[in-house]
Amino acid sequence: MLWLCILLPRFALEATAGGAGAADAGDAAPAPPGGARAARGAQAALEALALWALQWSSQVSHRSGSEDAQRIAAAQGAALWLEIGAGRALFGDERRLRTRIAGELKSLGYSFRLGIAPTPQGATILARAGLDTIAATQAQLRQQLEPLPLALLSLPDEALAALHGIGLRSIGEWLSLPAAAIAQRFGPAASLYRERLRGAAREPLRHVRAPARFASRCEFPGAITDTTALLFPLQRLLAGLEGYLRSLDRAVQRYTLCLEHHRSHAPRLTRLAIGLARPGRDAAQLLALARERLAATVLAAPVLGMAVEADELLQPLVLQGDLFSHAAQHGEQLQHALDRLVARLGAAAVQSLDSVDDHRPERAWRPGAARLAVPAARARAPAAPDRPCWLLPQPRRIDAPRELLAGPERIESGWWDGADVARDYYLARGEHGAQLWVFHDLRSGEWCLHGLWA
Amino acid sequence: MTNQILHTLDEEGVPHFSSLPVTRFGKMGDALPVQPAQRLSRDELRARLERMGRDGHADDPARPVAVPTGFAQLDAALPGGGWPVGAITELMPEAQGIGELSLLMPALAQLCRAGRYLAWIAPPCLPYPPALVQRGLVLERVLLVQADDARSVLWATEQALRCPAIGAVLAWPAALDDRRVRRLQLAAEAGGGCGLLYRPPAAAGQHSPAALRLKLSARDGGLHVDIHKSRGRRAHAVVVHPAAALCA
Repeated sequence: MLWLCILLPRFALEATAGGAGAADAGDAAPAPPGGARAARGAQAALEALALWALQWSSQVSHRSGSEDAQRIAAAQGAALWLEIGAGRALFGDERRLRTRIAGELKSLGYSFRLGIAPTPQGATILARAGLDTIAATQAQLRQQLEPLPLALLSLPDEALAALHGIGLRSIGEWLSLPAAAIAQRFGPAASLYRERLRGAAREPLRHVRAPARFASRCEFPGAITDTTALLFPLQRLLAGLEGYLRSLDRAVQRYTLCLEHHRSHAPRLTRLAIGLARPGRDAAQLLALARERLAATVLAAPVLGMAVEADELLQPLVLQGDLFSHAAQHGEQLQHALDRLVARLGAAAVQSLDSVDDHRPERAWRPGAARLAVPAARARAPAAPDRPCWLLPQPRRIDAPRELLAGPERIESGWWDGADVARDYYLARGEHGAQLWVFHDLRSGEWCLHGLWA
Repeated sequence: MTNQILHTLDEEGVPHFSSLPVTRFGKMGDALPVQPAQRLSRDELRARLERMGRDGHADDPARPVAVPTGFAQLDAALPGGGWPVGAITELMPEAQGIGELSLLMPALAQLCRAGRYLAWIAPPCLPYPPALVQRGLVLERVLLVQADDARSVLWATEQALRCPAIGAVLAWPAALDDRRVRRLQLAAEAGGGCGLLYRPPAAAGQHSPAALRLKLSARDGGLHVDIHKSRGRRAHAVVVHPAAALCA
């Protein structure tokens, strides 16, 4: 077992204020930490971060079973513990994993310190000490702990003062005390803590479980009126979604972004459904889609909180064959472009086209949802007569054309579905030499323009 | 329709332009003879088109600078020998329905076959699927994007141009100034596709940073292509017969 402790010393402040990256989000000063609302917000943010961490470890905890250790480790901030030994095959050695995790935490706007040791308590001390070392074994841990000051121990202040009183200065000295003496003088809690630090007793961590459906929310210290200010907190929620999806090896094709307004406003929630052309879980991609969607959204009211929800979990789409082949690359690129277009313009605005076997020109095609498709076997041009490139959305009545260049082609069809037509189609010359596709309606005698030979 | 359409595909399904019926409609009068375009072998053509798809840059010498138009006289008159790649081309037809789309069809068909997508942004009418298939386009590769306002049209055009999977973007923007064309030009350079903007004939009077600007009009039974601006060539005009290319 190898534990990574992520110590977040300014978590209470950063969790609600939006972090360093959001400093330009508004000039409203962040509300000072404190109060039930801030505590609730920090707790929600910590849960989101724990979901984010699940992608690297199935054992993630933000709560320690022992009250003292929890209180002292967290102090003003918060702490997360991840078991990273089991994932070594997947993520490379602990040094690489630490670099990766550090990079992500930075982009999420959190200040942090990391410690890696065979026990959670050991990792906590190394993180608090701010040492850039990794203790991979108990021996290394002991060696690194020995010179450190007692104050780094997660013990109550009275216990630390008492240790100081008997002349102890370093953790090494404390570790060499006989177990019986510790239990006798400082109580069973201190003794148990030392056993856990040394790995002789198990740390009772309560692990985070991935819920069946994803829901993560955050509250803002002030009301947000500009959608761009939502992006930074959203980035954190979506990082949680990505970690959650990766831990389950699942992906989503859509998720819901809920914007919460003041309770006096009706409706209280603005729900935005954000869709992808194909199942995905990359937080950056999910964020880019939300950004387009938000840019096209006018806020109905100031936003006080926000939630991301996803309940339809799908198999991630694994590309067949060579991931770096042109076809696969094109597929990815096109998907991202499609997603952006749909996010901003709506699904109805981005279409694919299909041709349908019907003699009536207006029924010889249909729109489809734009998606990645492998072309069917090479389509042979239909044997139908030549058709014009432009079709008018509706036939438009015109005066009888003066000059017919070719025709007629008679189309009589559709008596069975009530939309029957009986028309003679001609090629006619229009102004500026335009070539028009016109028909003479055999029932009404009217002339209509139906297309252009563009 | 009185005339039969001839599909002269070689065994690989690649159209060539050497054996064209003179016109689609008998009454249209004498057409100027259409010279066969210089024929690349199928492999050469595919290799050239595939190179376009890679993440190369404009200064990549391996990247073709143009997609052959399929019209020999036009290719000869255009720098690079075709529709410029990674650049904006402006097409200014005098009226709708004179062959302004057919002019592009051979190149679009080639891009489809090379696995590239085609984006149509805010077209004035429906690009009619049966007609597109007849001209060799692959419908699965065609994307149609509608947008309500001028800003969204430009935004969508830029997004499509930036996507390397999209080989050609056809767009009908409402109004453009040279700053906006410059933006689209940069997007086309980034994505490496052909940006084809349809503009009203009056736009010819405005300055534009587009790489190629063509005025189109119906004349002499064909499509008169007036090269209003091109990089490194003096302007002149050619007449092509896109209606005939339909039969390719």
